[in-house]
Amino acid sequence: MIEIEHLHKTYRSGFTMKPKLALKDVSFRVETGKVYGFIGPNGAGKSTTIKVLTGLLNFDSGKVLVNGISPRDVKSREFIGYSPEQPYFYDYLSGRELLRFYGKLVGLKGAGLESRIGWALELLHANKDWIDRRLRSYSKGMMQRVGIAQAILSKPKLLILDEPMSGLDPMGRRDVREAIQQLNRDGVTIFYSSHLLSDVEAISHRVAMIVDGHIVREGTIDEITESCGVEYHVRTRQAILESDLPRGVSATGHPQEYICADDVARDRMLGFCLSNGIAVEKMDHKRPSLEDILTEEIARADA
Amino acid sequence: MQMLKHIGIIALNTFRESIRDKILYNIGFLAIALTLFSIVLGEWSVFDRAYVIKSTTLSVMSLSGLLISIFVGISLVQKEIQRRTVLTLLSKPISRAAFIVGKYFGLLAVVAVHLVLLTCIYYVILWITNSSPTASLLTAIYLIFCEMAVVIAVALLFSSFSSTVLSALFTLGVYFAGHLSDQLLEQVKFASRMGELHGTSSALLEKAAVVIHAVFPGLYRFNVTNYVVHGVALPDMYVFWNSIYALGYIGVFLSIASWWFSRRDFL
Repeated sequence: MIEIEHLHKTYRSGFTMKPKLALKDVSFRVETGKVYGFIGPNGAGKSTTIKVLTGLLNFDSGKVLVNGISPRDVKSREFIGYSPEQPYFYDYLSGRELLRFYGKLVGLKGAGLESRIGWALELLHANKDWIDRRLRSYSKGMMQRVGIAQAILSKPKLLILDEPMSGLDPMGRRDVREAIQQLNRDGVTIFYSSHLLSDVEAISHRVAMIVDGHIVREGTIDEITESCGVEYHVRTRQAILESDLPRGVSATGHPQEYICADDVARDRMLGFCLSNGIAVEKMDHKRPSLEDILTEEIARADA
Repeated sequence: MQMLKHIGIIALNTFRESIRDKILYNIGFLAIALTLFSIVLGEWSVFDRAYVIKSTTLSVMSLSGLLISIFVGISLVQKEIQRRTVLTLLSKPISRAAFIVGKYFGLLAVVAVHLVLLTCIYYVILWITNSSPTASLLTAIYLIFCEMAVVIAVALLFSSFSSTVLSALFTLGVYFAGHLSDQLLEQVKFASRMGELHGTSSALLEKAAVVIHAVFPGLYRFNVTNYVVHGVALPDMYVFWNSIYALGYIGVFLSIASWWFSRRDFL
């Protein structure tokens, strides 16, 4: 559904038009029918990539295709629904009037338009009395729901959401998460950026991590976390002296709990316990979270 | 067909947006007040009362139309960019040209409504004061509308690539150049004929005046107040050819604005 190869984008700003490379050789693919999370710190290039995909930004070089069409072609947007970060709309309209306006722009009219608006609002749990109030009185969360509602009005094949959970309370986050999952079950490909890594881990089939304009990790959550190594936590019935611990095994601070750095250290530890008659009470593995990996990547980029 | 539909939807929304703009009401009320004030001016003036009322009101229409065209026109595109509403709008399958042209027609409709309203008040005043309301005055009002149609296109052109303040200054510059280019060319030619300009400076000045006259829209063509107020007939086909002239400039300005706008990045 999305194909990006060797994408470069430079911004020029200030009086001297000093160039700043925002995207450096970005490449990834989003398969049809998947939920694809795009994560990274502020200013890493998430919104820039999204705006390139929606045709709002031109790019310097590389190949970008949305459903096989370049975003430079207006036709590519026939398949897309897009909600920007912190959406802002014409505040003299009510939420429903705004949805009618966008609905007409994507070719809906009459009863079809009204029923599509009802469907979108229902999906986002936004079919409440506030939808007929002027947008200037809306909270951030209401605005976010209207933003996503206008994006799905055309029943797009690809839904692009920039920080869809920001500004939402826990209930709102759950509603949006469920809406994303429902749309995906209906066959919509979802590409979205988010700071809320727990949500990304919960609903994404694949994830790309961008830091300082580079894609630093890409894959399923398992692929990404496994690539960073797995730690094993072993709990024994009796304490072992730190000096007796096999190589690669360290104490955690808890008197009977030890961390094995990798599979080899785990096997050594199990062998040690077996040969010394020490009973193993519990063993589990712990992968680094996306947050751990992202933090590590940011630190690496800063260094 | 699809593009026309998009233009219509954006124009309608622009119209709704503009009629909620406070600046429009300020200009509208000022225009109505000045139109009514023309009755007092007619009484005070040493000139013919009907002449004063007619010429003052036509000037008020022209000035208020200009203020709306410039101050609402330049903010139309900039407001969309600054408030980031342009992001959702342009992510829909609509071309940037449709966006610009839709904005244009939306504001043109606002100016048309404004002029129609003032025209009604104008004719009521002329009728009350027995100032012989004639149909020929409508020709002058129509040409004011044509002039504003060109000015809105200029305002949109500048606001497609520059800031609000610069757009206002540039548009005002084009307005004054458009009104004075004819006189400038005449003056330079006259001075040259009278031998007041010599050598290369004469040739350069004359060429510059010719270029300014050719490039800037001749807005002086749309000012026929003196003709209609004094009941002098306009040349045959004057209105028709000047309508075509206005359409030509509007087409060029909107094409450049659309081209420029389609190259822009929206952050």
